Amino acid sequence: MRRRFWEYPWGYRESFTIGIVLLFLGFFIELVSPVDAIYLPRWPFNFILILVLIAYIYISYRMVKHPFMKWLSSVPAAISSISLFTILVLLLGFIPQTDESGGSLLVDLGLTHVTRSWPYILLSFYLLIILGYTTVRRSFPLNLKNFAFFLNHAGLWIVIVAASLGSSDLRRLNMTLQENQAVFRAYDGEGRAYQLPFAIKLLDFHIKEYPPSIGLVDKNTGQFAIDEMGQLIAVEKGLNTEFGQWEINIDEYYESGFPDSTGYTESERVGAPPVVHMRVRNTITDEIKAGWLTSGSFIVPNKFMHLSDRWAIAMRVPAPMEYSSEIRFFTSMKEYEDITIKVNKPAKINGWTLYQTGYDERMGKWSQVSIVEIVKDPWLPVVYVGIFMMLLGSLYLVWMGRTTKKTENELD
Amino acid sequence: MNWTDYSIYMILSSGLWILALIILVLPRKVKVIPDIFLLGGVVSIVIFTIGLWLNLERPPFRTLAETRLWYAIFISLIGIIIYYRWKLLWMLAYSLLMAILFLFINYMNPDTFDKTLMPALRSPWFIPHVIVYIIGYAFLAVSSLMGLKGLYLMYRNKSTDKTIKLADNIVYIGFAFLTFGLLFGALWAKEAWGHYWTWDPKETWAFLTWLVYLLYIHFRVNKRKYVKSSLWILSLAFVVLLICWFGINYLPSAQNSVHVYS
Repeated sequence: MRRRFWEYPWGYRESFTIGIVLLFLGFFIELVSPVDAIYLPRWPFNFILILVLIAYIYISYRMVKHPFMKWLSSVPAAISSISLFTILVLLLGFIPQTDESGGSLLVDLGLTHVTRSWPYILLSFYLLIILGYTTVRRSFPLNLKNFAFFLNHAGLWIVIVAASLGSSDLRRLNMTLQENQAVFRAYDGEGRAYQLPFAIKLLDFHIKEYPPSIGLVDKNTGQFAIDEMGQLIAVEKGLNTEFGQWEINIDEYYESGFPDSTGYTESERVGAPPVVHMRVRNTITDEIKAGWLTSGSFIVPNKFMHLSDRWAIAMRVPAPMEYSSEIRFFTSMKEYEDITIKVNKPAKINGWTLYQTGYDERMGKWSQVSIVEIVKDPWLPVVYVGIFMMLLGSLYLVWMGRTTKKTENELD
Repeated sequence: MNWTDYSIYMILSSGLWILALIILVLPRKVKVIPDIFLLGGVVSIVIFTIGLWLNLERPPFRTLAETRLWYAIFISLIGIIIYYRWKLLWMLAYSLLMAILFLFINYMNPDTFDKTLMPALRSPWFIPHVIVYIIGYAFLAVSSLMGLKGLYLMYRNKSTDKTIKLADNIVYIGFAFLTFGLLFGALWAKEAWGHYWTWDPKETWAFLTWLVYLLYIHFRVNKRKYVKSSLWILSLAFVVLLICWFGINYLPSAQNSVHVYS
């Protein structure tokens, strides 16, 4: 006999009904709510909320014996929560996320800021509840298989909780540093200023560059014709190479040179770009040209060589290999510590992590400005615990695959 | 040791791996020899890499060519380990051919030996992040083929038991590698960009891929039911995977992604 709607045990119909109701409830609140984006509770309220959530899930699971409790950790509940969450993330994946407010239906439904919208919050909560009960149910007895299950599920639970409820305690601020000036003001993503309990002074900013490269430029498009006319070639003295019908011979290369009355000379001046002198022979007409080439900088104009109506040869601005800032971090007027930060090599100090994010690109390697991001994320260790639990759990999946009995281990 | 010695080691590795594959495909079972060849191929390229390291007096992680050496070492190694564990010959063939491809690209484009990496890519996380995705995508792509095969078998009224059982295993393994990829990416992003998750479009789509396979896995908990729907999910999941892999460059929502390369 067929089970009636809402008769226990609940299956897919009930699970999806609940999920869809939550989704539309979210859209409804988002539509009528005057607030554009939601901000989650901060420390210590987020911490208390998490403790209450864990205690509630654990105690209610152990104490209450009702078919509803069984549904909370059932496969249909899991599927409905994952599916609806996936649909929301799909929308997030297709609709550009912006900070616009008001106007279109997309904005009013929260679809331009999905991760701060009511449907997202409600469905995440639904997912967390189901995931929480599922984790508790499979934690007993704690054998190897259940332990791997626990690592994957509890790990994910911890990551979601710490990343979402912890995000309200996350501070990401930008600072623009000028060489030899102490700064104790930083700005968040929305441009609000913050007074810091410390000051930062940029001692020196460095850029290491790759050697410059030369290639043919299509005068119609102004672009390097990389596919059509061969690759860009790194410059060195004595280099012989060919681009299409032109044979190139570099007879002089200055890592930094400056224009003078005869052409260019080697120079250590600020703004002196890389310079080469070269000979170009047209292998069809045997015509030979010679001249200077430079990528230019903010004071030296760039210089290229015309080869034909369509082609010119030009030098590309050298790409940065690595940039770094030497920073003095003042904890008081007298006490300080010097640190160096690079891209991919942040430094930790006083609970903050300092990241190298940018510089004055117009000035290139002569930039005296360094842009750094300072981040304080007290929940990070918790997120990492979740991440490492999932990594361990996944290792088990690689090794065991989907196996139920030992004899099933081997595949053909 | 430097790049002028490279061709010997490349030929040795590729040759040993191809020989091992040929022996394994043969109907007659040969013991020990393919094992020696498989490991010999890895050892050869490891020796070259160590020699290069000593010669350069720095870890060889700086150029694209050096990166490809590590891809070749780890992809072949993981392929061999998975082969011994799961006896999936196609996976061994795939990983060894990928490894040979990377070695061969180095051989064909000597001018990329100096081609260097942009600052944000110069990280110890770069290589593992790419490797686990190459492997994960391969498993999941094959699982989708299995899904199509299952649907075809169903259409012809034949048994799908064996196919879907194998697909389940392959999804579990591929899903695990996808999880590694996402999490390595998160750990790297924390070092490079200050936060482990920023809903960058590639992140969003990798997460979506992960969610769809997560759905499949949970759908299959109750094994006997809904086989047809499972097979459809498996086949369609590949579409999401493809968007994540290639399609991302064309999405209007992805114009500022750190993963869009031009």
